[in-house]
Amino acid sequence: MRYSIALAALLASTCVIACGVQQPELPPPEAATPAHPLPFKGRLVDGDPSELPPAVALSLSHTSTVTFAYREELSHDEYHIPLIVSAFDPVTYVGAPLGDYGVTAFASLSIVEGDRVLGDYTAKAHVTKSYNLYSEPTHQEVEQAARVAVRDRIDKKLYHDAAHLADSIAPVGRPALIAPLEK
Amino acid sequence: MNQRYLLLLISVATLTAIGCAVQGRPFEKVPSYANQAVIYVYRPYSYAGSLLRPSVTCGEDTARIGPGGYHAFVVPTGKVLCKVETETADVVELNAEPHVYYIREEIGWGVLTGHPHLNPIDNDQAQSEIQSCCVQEP
Repeated sequence: MRYSIALAALLASTCVIACGVQQPELPPPEAATPAHPLPFKGRLVDGDPSELPPAVALSLSHTSTVTFAYREELSHDEYHIPLIVSAFDPVTYVGAPLGDYGVTAFASLSIVEGDRVLGDYTAKAHVTKSYNLYSEPTHQEVEQAARVAVRDRIDKKLYHDAAHLADSIAPVGRPALIAPLEK
Repeated sequence: MNQRYLLLLISVATLTAIGCAVQGRPFEKVPSYANQAVIYVYRPYSYAGSLLRPSVTCGEDTARIGPGGYHAFVVPTGKVLCKVETETADVVELNAEPHVYYIREEIGWGVLTGHPHLNPIDNDQAQSEIQSCCVQEP
């Protein structure tokens, strides 16, 4: 019986050492771009006004000839350390991560004036949050973090092209002089 | 009784060890286009830390790569960051041209969790390693 117990302890510790409970933490949030309006206004034709990238949200106008169409899609993934391993791992009981929840957010934004596409932007962001024996993030928290990250990426692309976009918008009463921008 | 106990323990240990490895198709090259770079991130099998599958992000694409697996990231040319993080983070910055790049992921020891490392590898060495070690992540 003593040998069995010793062997059991040996096997358990081997599992712990080999496949030890190790999981990723949430990456530190990227420094968000300070939000400011774009140099032109647009009308939202597709998307939820309360779920927009800040730059777009600050540039809405009901009377603009430019239109915004914004969509977000979320997909979920998760990873769990098998219980048969984590149960034997001492660090489980001091709060080591047991797995994580991930959300990938995909966003697309089209900026159109009449029948001209001025800009078409897409971005993707993936966020994971780990959980342990004592605390667990909600799916909503992970989703929100992914949404914030993907909107920030759309904003960065918009700010980068803001001047070109503003130039390509036709002033009222005159056709556009600059070829439409396509990305 | 002892023999049954031993058999159970051995079965559990075997199942645990098998469960750590990635199953998938052998290495195959991904087609690339003029303004895109292909970054293969591969992780040779190692029993240590084999249950850890941290997310690897290159550009805007993310994948979990298990031991003995690889993932091909097709990214636009230009500055590309590949990042992996657990307790600590490791980042590789590439000024990507329309070429093929190889990065090897390894898991080192940590306190509560393993520390992942990303190491850019020469193409010659990497091609032989990735073909012998790694299968495509499903």
